Amino acid sequence: MKKCYKCGLKGVVYLPQYRIAFCKEHYLEWYSRRVEETIKEFHMFTRESRVLVAVSGGKDSLSLWDVLYRLGYKADGLYIDLGIGEYSERSRIVCERFAQTRGLELHVLSLGEAIATIPEIKRLEKRPPCSFCGQLKRYYMNRFAKEKGYSILATGHNLDDESATLFSNLLAWNMDYLARQFPLLPEGKGFVRRVKPLFKLSEKENALYAFLGGIEYVEEECPFAEGASSIGYKKVLSQLEEESPGTKLRFYMDFLRRLHPLLKAQEVELRHCSICGEPTTGEVCSLCRLRERLSSKTLSSSPSS
Amino acid sequence: MKVRVVYRGQVKELHFEGERVRVMDVLKVMGLSKEYAFVVRGEEILEEREFLRDGEELRVVNAISGGRGYF
Ligand SMILES: [Zn+2]
Ligand SMILES: [Zn+2]
Repeated sequence: MKKCYKCGLKGVVYLPQYRIAFCKEHYLEWYSRRVEETIKEFHMFTRESRVLVAVSGGKDSLSLWDVLYRLGYKADGLYIDLGIGEYSERSRIVCERFAQTRGLELHVLSLGEAIATIPEIKRLEKRPPCSFCGQLKRYYMNRFAKEKGYSILATGHNLDDESATLFSNLLAWNMDYLARQFPLLPEGKGFVRRVKPLFKLSEKENALYAFLGGIEYVEEECPFAEGASSIGYKKVLSQLEEESPGTKLRFYMDFLRRLHPLLKAQEVELRHCSICGEPTTGEVCSLCRLRERLSSKTLSSSPSS
Repeated sequence: MKVRVVYRGQVKELHFEGERVRVMDVLKVMGLSKEYAFVVRGEEILEEREFLRDGEELRVVNAISGGRGYF
């Protein structure tokens, strides 16, 4: 292992795309600086902003919360309990312990109380769980942030997430999704500002930060994520990365620089859902429609149970 | 030789022919790449070319995760 680029001590982490090594202390410093630079470059938020970090108990979101806290940002956490048995239980405990040891505020929103748990919805939905789960989380994160007066919603999306999404959107030439893929989605029309401060850091860089920073996180995958297509894209990209370090970052940054400015998201007319008031394209939002289907299912199945 | 590997909360025992087994061999048999995974002995992150000790316990961290529902 090369010596630490900063202090000359034995390196513990080597970053191939930059061809440098760091000792533990200077890796943690490099990581925080990278996050801070990203926040400033994209004008994501300031130290005065009230930030809500969506935490899942995994390495990315907890590393994000940790680094924001260490950098002196005002960041509280939101854990959405999806009701996926032991997995959700353990994830919640990990988030609670994280918050407690740092004296941070964690909000917990139970999906089961708000609408229904993921396993309950899965019985009714034909779509893959990751698809409706993501939609539910986005709905409740946004709604919760607004209700509690947070102006910024930060998520732990990393470089692998973003480049895999970009890859899949390009394969399908999904122009509208491509136009909406950006590390900052501005507030307005019923949405709070959404930001991804970790989008330049790879999954491994986040896992290394969590490991070296002594952050306890849940390593197990969500039991419903088995065979999610994003894993396949991530593996393909990591093969390219291995042959040519820096490929993922270049792929994504050049997209932002060269293609994204040419794209225009389709203007969609948004109005307030007539039931819950959240932004939607139709009369009733998809979440309220799901809620209706859930309640009619319970009504129709109750006599037999 | 054999090593015990803690991986995503589970313990696996890995057997190898011969005694000169490197960290990268562990990743290889587990179907993982150094691009997204690393091997830990105690508090120490091991380099891919380091040799393993017979019977030791290691932790393998796989950073790749899927299906967070684009959270
Ligand atoms: Zn150093
Ligand atoms: Zn609604």
